[in-house]
Amino acid sequence: MSKNVTYDHVNKIYDEKGKNPVHALKDISFTINQGELFCLLGPSGCGKTTLLRSTAGLESISSGKMYYGDVDISTIPPFKRNIGMVFQSFALYPHMTIFENVAYGLRVRKTPNDIVKKKVTEVMELVGLGEELKRNPSPTGLSGGQQQRVAIARALVYDPDVLLLDEPLANLDAKLRRYMRAEIRRIQKATNITTIFVTHDQEEAMAVGDRLAVLRKGIVEQIGTSEELYSSPRNAFVSNFIGKMNFFNSKVVSADRENIVARINTTDIDVVIPRERAHLENPAAGMDVLVGGRPEQLVVSRTKSSDSVMGKVNIIQHLGSFIRYEVEIADAISPAVFEIDMPTLQKDIHEQDIVYVNLKRGLASLFSPEGRE
Amino acid sequence: MAKYSIEENGKETSRIKKFFQKDFSQALVFAVPMLFLAVFLLYPMATTLVRAFMAPAEDLAFHGFSLEGFNQFLTSNLYRKSLWNSFAVSISVTLLCLLIGVPMGYCMARVKMPGKNLMLTLGTLPIIMPSFVGAFTWVILLGKNGFVRIFLNKILSPIGIEIPSIYGMFGMILCMTLSYYPFVFQLCYGAFASANSLLEESAMLMGASKARIFRTITFPLILPSLGAAALLVFVRAIGNFGIPAIIGGDNYVLPTLIYFEVNGFWNINGACSIAVVNVGITAFVLWLQKYIVNRHQYETISATHTELKLHESAPARIIATVYVVIILVASLLPQVTIIIMSFFTKWTGLWPEGFTLSNYIRIPHYSHHELFNSFFLSLTATLLCAVLGSIIAYITERKKPKGAALLDLSVMAPFILPGTVVSIALLSAFSGNSWLRLTGTYVIIIISFMIRRTPYVYRSVAASLTQLNPSLEEASTIAGATWFYTFKKVSIPLITPAIISGSILTLTTLLQELSTTILLYSGRTRTVPIQIYAAVQDGKLGQASALSVVLLVVVFVIIYTMNRRQGKGIAAAFKMG
Repeated sequence: MSKNVTYDHVNKIYDEKGKNPVHALKDISFTINQGELFCLLGPSGCGKTTLLRSTAGLESISSGKMYYGDVDISTIPPFKRNIGMVFQSFALYPHMTIFENVAYGLRVRKTPNDIVKKKVTEVMELVGLGEELKRNPSPTGLSGGQQQRVAIARALVYDPDVLLLDEPLANLDAKLRRYMRAEIRRIQKATNITTIFVTHDQEEAMAVGDRLAVLRKGIVEQIGTSEELYSSPRNAFVSNFIGKMNFFNSKVVSADRENIVARINTTDIDVVIPRERAHLENPAAGMDVLVGGRPEQLVVSRTKSSDSVMGKVNIIQHLGSFIRYEVEIADAISPAVFEIDMPTLQKDIHEQDIVYVNLKRGLASLFSPEGRE
Repeated sequence: MAKYSIEENGKETSRIKKFFQKDFSQALVFAVPMLFLAVFLLYPMATTLVRAFMAPAEDLAFHGFSLEGFNQFLTSNLYRKSLWNSFAVSISVTLLCLLIGVPMGYCMARVKMPGKNLMLTLGTLPIIMPSFVGAFTWVILLGKNGFVRIFLNKILSPIGIEIPSIYGMFGMILCMTLSYYPFVFQLCYGAFASANSLLEESAMLMGASKARIFRTITFPLILPSLGAAALLVFVRAIGNFGIPAIIGGDNYVLPTLIYFEVNGFWNINGACSIAVVNVGITAFVLWLQKYIVNRHQYETISATHTELKLHESAPARIIATVYVVIILVASLLPQVTIIIMSFFTKWTGLWPEGFTLSNYIRIPHYSHHELFNSFFLSLTATLLCAVLGSIIAYITERKKPKGAALLDLSVMAPFILPGTVVSIALLSAFSGNSWLRLTGTYVIIIISFMIRRTPYVYRSVAASLTQLNPSLEEASTIAGATWFYTFKKVSIPLITPAIISGSILTLTTLLQELSTTILLYSGRTRTVPIQIYAAVQDGKLGQASALSVVLLVVVFVIIYTMNRRQGKGIAAAFKMG
């Protein structure tokens, strides 16, 4: 039976008594709902894998509690937790056939032979390897995608309470990766097992997950659906990690009940941002802030206007449905290069040209410069 | 009942319950090898060190502190000379092996030659033959009445040159060089053959001459292999007992001096002092090698490898082929000689005399006991080594406890200890009025074998475990398996090939072991190598040869079968030996 997973003030400190303790998880508290496909997303070293391995019991946590349903599993050893896990390397046993690989967890549970056979066949049908099972080769003879399916089947066959996926697609090539992520979502929805999916690829996380948690330096920055994270990121880091965000260094000019007005540094361009898109605490005049615009919320053109900033085109990339212009802006406004996506190729703009960048009206958001990366 | 007690005093019972929920199979499996190492490795080494600082005594009780054992190296001529001989022999052998092995490795790797695979196999044969067997065949060839010597002297006497007899320093150095050069040859061959040719080609494109490329690119890159090979040769040369015992004459070296002290005077304390000096020298050389090689260790940068371009010019091919063939013939002479000798009763002139098959036919009569002992002891010890080595490798590689490095060091230490030193350590701990008296038993020989050869399985399994992704074992844990179930169903099957190849190496070397058993055997536990050694001393060269051939054939068949089954080169298996 699928269960929800709750983290209650979970902390993990590596080498706690040593010289260089590393605080890998900082006071993590949230709940993953029953039957949910939940993504842990973050740059490498953010603690997502540590959190997953702690959930599995492969790492012990330093303090806090973890629950499967209402059961505190913090101190239960991993082999008694009834979980399924798919490893980045797949970890298939080369000395066993694919049938024995998948049957492993059932054998451990001393399941009678006929049930083992039935369950393995069922789960292999589910992951689309029914035909392969008839040949029953060693996993070393399978393609990457097939190995991935065997690994998933092996983790699902004994009806685990929770399914854990540790960067399961990292070892596949780009095309297969896109296909398998849809497959994983299909299989997860068919079994309805609470699933935690770890990845560093935001596109993958947004495509697959019912909800996502963005982690950074051991802290959960934001939890929400793909749509929530994309359209209303809580801070500059999340906004730039879930999709790209271009930031204009700015200062608050005035703030009232509905709107905040910010002036882009070294210019006299004022941007008006409604309160619900201002992710700031107590904005006051003179405060340093970042005005953010997504690549599709900016426009690049050869003609100067009163509210445009000047830049130089570095590179133009044709990406199929849109054209990406990388534009260098004055350091005082943005030390990072802007990415601006235009729906069509601008015939009059070439690499190294001087151009003018405008923010589309009414779309910008406002962030505190803290924690920007 | 459980429910009742929880209600009674919840906290107490839940702690007890937790205690029993823990998985103790792991601790149990780990405790036995640790206990073995502590009692039969660390304890004997400690007693050896203590005894080295005690005055010679008959009763082996622990007496007061004394430097008499070491003082001998300053006062006694015999000691001083032995120390000097050990140095002189090991250093010359190491240098000569490098001198012979490096060019040979280069020729094999970089010059186009006919029959390369055959030559490579023949080039490993000298390692398979026990060195003391090599020694007595050289007596047949170059001894006082050796036929090669008689033959050469007949030719050379008109110009006033006389070939010296094999006995003495010259013989020891010759024998050891021809027994040990394959280590250098094999390692250098590997390094030359696997070197990235792009590095040399790019140097050539930048305008470097061939000599300059060799000096600045090729050579520095094989230096680590060279260092490893030199160390291997040195350690073996300084620990070798058989060769100096058979052809050293009155030129003692440290291992034979230990034997002399124990066998002649039962002076264990004195022998311990010599052992400490012997180990000290080896340890110093090991450190020196590490120091030099570490400064020249490079990571390979490029990923792509291209075919090496071989020298194809006729002169290069002729010179290389002739050179390699001469070395091979010289180093394989003993094998040929020993086979001929085993069919004759004596060979003191130009030709062997008294053709007979009785050397073989009578083996069951004169050697059934020794053959049984050799196989029984070697097989038992190999089996135990396999268990011990794999478990310790598993502990150091997977559990990585605090002090894993120390554990690694103590398992690997016997790797550089001469056999005589291992036996002295065991004698010093388990003879006389010790709490555990083992002298003269099968047990002490099995223990000495285990101590000496566990590194083979250990290294082999440790290497395969580092290759193995830990997630394979984690996946089993996640699937609900206990530690022991995982160990049994996942870890063991995956490291089995490594256990087998390590065990084969162990078995083949143990069948030929002389330097450890020579100090530990009794009438009851005599092995075939001891019998061969005794037969040589008694001048029964026919018998000694027949027994050696039997041993060689057995060892060769084992290794050949392993190669066929596992598809690994003999060289690869012996690299670590």
